[in-house]
Amino acid sequence: MKRLLRISAGLTVIGLAFMVWSLVQPTPMPVILAMSVGQGAGSLAFGLYLYVIVVDLRRERRRKRRESLENIPTAKGPPAP
Amino acid sequence: MSFDPLVAVALSSAALSVVLLVWFVAKDRPLTRSLKIVLLFGIGVLPLATAATGNIAGYNATKSTKFCSSCHVMTPYGEDSWSRDSKSLASRHARNEMFGHENCYACHADYGMFGTITTKLGGMRHVYEYVFNFHQLELNTALEKIEIRRPFQNTTCMHCHSTQNPAWNAIGDHASSLDDVRAGKVSCASEGCHGPAHPFSKAIKAKAKAKAVSP
Repeated sequence: MKRLLRISAGLTVIGLAFMVWSLVQPTPMPVILAMSVGQGAGSLAFGLYLYVIVVDLRRERRRKRRESLENIPTAKGPPAP
Repeated sequence: MSFDPLVAVALSSAALSVVLLVWFVAKDRPLTRSLKIVLLFGIGVLPLATAATGNIAGYNATKSTKFCSSCHVMTPYGEDSWSRDSKSLASRHARNEMFGHENCYACHADYGMFGTITTKLGGMRHVYEYVFNFHQLELNTALEKIEIRRPFQNTTCMHCHSTQNPAWNAIGDHASSLDDVRAGKVSCASEGCHGPAHPFSKAIKAKAKAKAVSP
């Protein structure tokens, strides 16, 4: 999960680099790359982030449910004679 | 370079985002709720702010004559429109403050309901043509080949010159061809009327044509 977040961070930086390039040098190629590659990288990065968060939240929920089930006292039968 | 608040917001958001991401990558931290919120800003909110403001700034930049002239085949057109000495239709319009630094866009944009979108799609075709057909060509060779894709529409002229003004209609040629001008049957930029907006390009093409015909 951490690795995916690091990849997401890297993709974000790449996307931002294209966007900043187009702002500093607004000529056709940087603007086109920013609006295609830059935004694609940014969207993919955000998608990865959301995926990691959703997976982490579900895992946490499962863990909490398991813990709560373990705390329920179970009905035991009469002791063996 | 003039100060543009949109560019400033985009650059600040990008810088802040990079700071947060470097802070995250620099050290191995547990994935706590606060780290998730920091990353939400670093990967989501701030880059989205950069993209949104950067897109608007980028879109505005694509309207400038400087942007159009940055492809070498368009440079003479831009230079002609900026020239104070030029008497071309393009240059005379570019001197109008209403056109300013966006004088290419002012005349070559579509003004219909989806005009902005169709203009930008047309711009993408320009990029394709430039990259695959004109990029390698010498300027003179390119100028001989460049053609406007479809005849210049009178409706673009009529965006400002409505043809309703009595002073405009007082001119004999305007009055006599009013219906044809409105219907687009007679072009404002035809020879005998106002002539082409970029006459230098027509002269180059005519010269090339004559050269090709003569043995």
